[in-house]
Amino acid sequence: MAGTVAAGASAEPKAEQKTESPALRLLRRWGTIIVLLATAVGFALASPYFATISNANNILFSMIVSALVSMGLTWVVMAGSFDLSVGLTVTTSSIVVAFLIPLVGPWAAIVLALASACVIGLANGLLVTYGRLSGIVVTLGVMFVLDGINVFATGGYQVAVSYSESAFLYIGQGKLGFIGVPVIIMLVIFVLAQLLATRTRVGHYVAAVGDNPMAAFYSGINVYRWVIVSFVLSALMSGVAGIILTSISSSAQPVGGQGYLLEAFAAVFLGATVLGKGKPHILGTLIGVLFLYLVNSGMNMVGFPFAARQLFAGLVLIIAVGANAALNREELHLKFI
Amino acid sequence: MSDQPLVEMRGLEKEFAGSKALRGVDIAFHRGEVHGLLGENGAGKSTLIKILTGVYAPTAGQILLDGSPVRIHSPLDARRHGLGAVYQDAELVASFTIGQNILLGNEPGHVVLSDRAIHDEAARILNEIGVALDPRRSAAGLSAAQMQLVTLATLFHRRYKLIVLDEPTARLSGVESEVLFRLIARLRGEGITIVYISHRLREVQEICDRATILRGGLVSATLERGEITEERVTQLMVDRSRTDLETYNDGHARPEVLLEIDGLQTDLLAPLSLTVRAGEVIGITGPVGGGMEQVAHALGGVTRHGGHLRLRGRAVDVADPVAARRAGIALIPEDRRKQALFPALSVADNICLPVLRSLRRLAMIGSREKLAFADGVMERLAVRPRNAAAQVRFFSGGNQQKVVIGKWMGTKASVYVFVEPTSGVDIGAIKEIYDIILHLARDGAAIIVVSSSLREILALSDRVLVIHDGALVSEAPKAAWTYDALLAVTMQGRHRRTA
Repeated sequence: MAGTVAAGASAEPKAEQKTESPALRLLRRWGTIIVLLATAVGFALASPYFATISNANNILFSMIVSALVSMGLTWVVMAGSFDLSVGLTVTTSSIVVAFLIPLVGPWAAIVLALASACVIGLANGLLVTYGRLSGIVVTLGVMFVLDGINVFATGGYQVAVSYSESAFLYIGQGKLGFIGVPVIIMLVIFVLAQLLATRTRVGHYVAAVGDNPMAAFYSGINVYRWVIVSFVLSALMSGVAGIILTSISSSAQPVGGQGYLLEAFAAVFLGATVLGKGKPHILGTLIGVLFLYLVNSGMNMVGFPFAARQLFAGLVLIIAVGANAALNREELHLKFI
Repeated sequence: MSDQPLVEMRGLEKEFAGSKALRGVDIAFHRGEVHGLLGENGAGKSTLIKILTGVYAPTAGQILLDGSPVRIHSPLDARRHGLGAVYQDAELVASFTIGQNILLGNEPGHVVLSDRAIHDEAARILNEIGVALDPRRSAAGLSAAQMQLVTLATLFHRRYKLIVLDEPTARLSGVESEVLFRLIARLRGEGITIVYISHRLREVQEICDRATILRGGLVSATLERGEITEERVTQLMVDRSRTDLETYNDGHARPEVLLEIDGLQTDLLAPLSLTVRAGEVIGITGPVGGGMEQVAHALGGVTRHGGHLRLRGRAVDVADPVAARRAGIALIPEDRRKQALFPALSVADNICLPVLRSLRRLAMIGSREKLAFADGVMERLAVRPRNAAAQVRFFSGGNQQKVVIGKWMGTKASVYVFVEPTSGVDIGAIKEIYDIILHLARDGAAIIVVSSSLREILALSDRVLVIHDGALVSEAPKAAWTYDALLAVTMQGRHRRTA
């Protein structure tokens, strides 16, 4: 080629990238994971019961609902919006399935519970796009609406699932070898979501829309469609979490789903720092959840009070995200959301 | 080339709030031609293109595609018809790689995407058009020119019938422009029509088969390749009928030097030195993106820059906009809505923002003081309607611009830097804005007007500077310039003696 341009102006930014020391790059890519491993090693040294297969199993089991909700939320944050209704979507699908099992049988109940979750996601997505409302406002509103409906429908009491529904209860309480069935479901969904996010058009376009909707629009991408898809995926994964929750506890609780919301946001933003991506991704989120629950379990074993666990999790979140931002410094920072 | 044009526009009219931007344009783009579009600022080029690509709807007239009338409602609609455009400020997805950006929306494969297929295809395209960029490199951190090249590479992959390039070389260096021209030649070879908008006449001469010159919302003439000469184009472009605005700056410059600029430079601007006296108006013009904006951005502390500034003999450092404000340099940027105004706040809130400190009483800011202060400014600048409590977004472009100026007047800035002060301003308000600018000069401020409108430059300035490809190519008192001579220099980038 006669006139291949090395693009004159490129010399400078390239040089800038090159000057990043290997240590710094290592820290940015692996920092979060190094901290995670160091924490785990610390707990293992402090408590002989921490680094055991049974404790690993416990940690995984305790994080199932949170992991599913967080991975769902990851889609919406990837698309550039917020979903505050994830916690209540768990509660709703949990109640729907518990309600419907005596009426239509477990399998139809599961399908209908997932369908109701999808309807919530679809409503969120349509209001945010065609309705031109902000994601925070819409999902905050939907959150309150769902809470109202749930308490109203149940009268504030739990909805029990009969112990004779052994097939349904196997979902949450069964075991394959020594691993719980819900843990396997969680891992399978993680693999599917990870593939969907990294290997398909869906993940590709959701990420493009979230990063620069204008560029996506001019590239002929149906921006609204992918925002809606992200909300439906979020709700769907919260729906699965709700069904598993009902199966684990043989009942649906009308309140308490709220707690998953803040945990999910912490996991998503912590996860964004994993591998130095600076953007939420499914694998990162799973690692984020793992970190939160690992700390929980470890501090519990070493004997720290709950308050200390909260404090530690909060500090780690701020330091991880802060360190990541410092390492990916942008010239002009004018975003405060 | 078949006889039937690919796109034909007939009797196209467009009216904006009473003033006609297009007054019956007939134009035809043939298959496989490179069609230049020339015209002064406000001649209607961008309006025409925005109608073609579905951003605006025409007031009257029709568009024929392959001989049959079509309606184009949105940019997406235009794409479906095979009409695409690359805008001046190309947008990329920063977190994607160059390859992912090039193929965005046209990835090979169905549901499952292969990372390798995307990057192989992107590498092939980049190699084919001769751009040495690694397709796996992240789009974040690319220079403006590189981004432009990546955007151009995307064109290659999308099956357009017609592509509008709006000032595509504004951000490219000479070598990079060559890449663009080769790409244009290739697209043309494939029978794709290119509509090429540029203020650089040399480029138009080099690559265009035909060129249409717009003047005052009408087609002035369409020239064949051999006829595109500087004389003809200049003659056809200048709207002799347009009555010149009666504004003329007969000079308010005082002897004392207010602002000394020594070796001011940015990534896109070669070192520039300049002294501005109190009351003097310096006009800076040139092709859009050719570096003239850099002067304004550097002075306002928005762009990283080198060099030294002295204000009234004292060295000042304008590292950021806060420092510039403290030093007394007011930047009135081009994009009012994004960079200068708070559209949802009231006029009073906007005007008082930089002077809140002085309106304070017992650490509280009284809304009555704010309204009274704003009302005073509005009276001086004749902002209409004179309602300081109304939200700024409900005002017309001209009145919004007055609000931006009013915002800085209270700060007693000593240097005002205007960028395209009348773009998007209704014609009636242009003269008022000019009067305000000259009034500031009469009061002893140093004024720098950066504008691509030569009329504006000639009406307002004491001295005129032309910046082309990031370097000062000409500097002379206004009296030394004629309109045609100035137009020739801005288009050609070199000084031609007007003897």
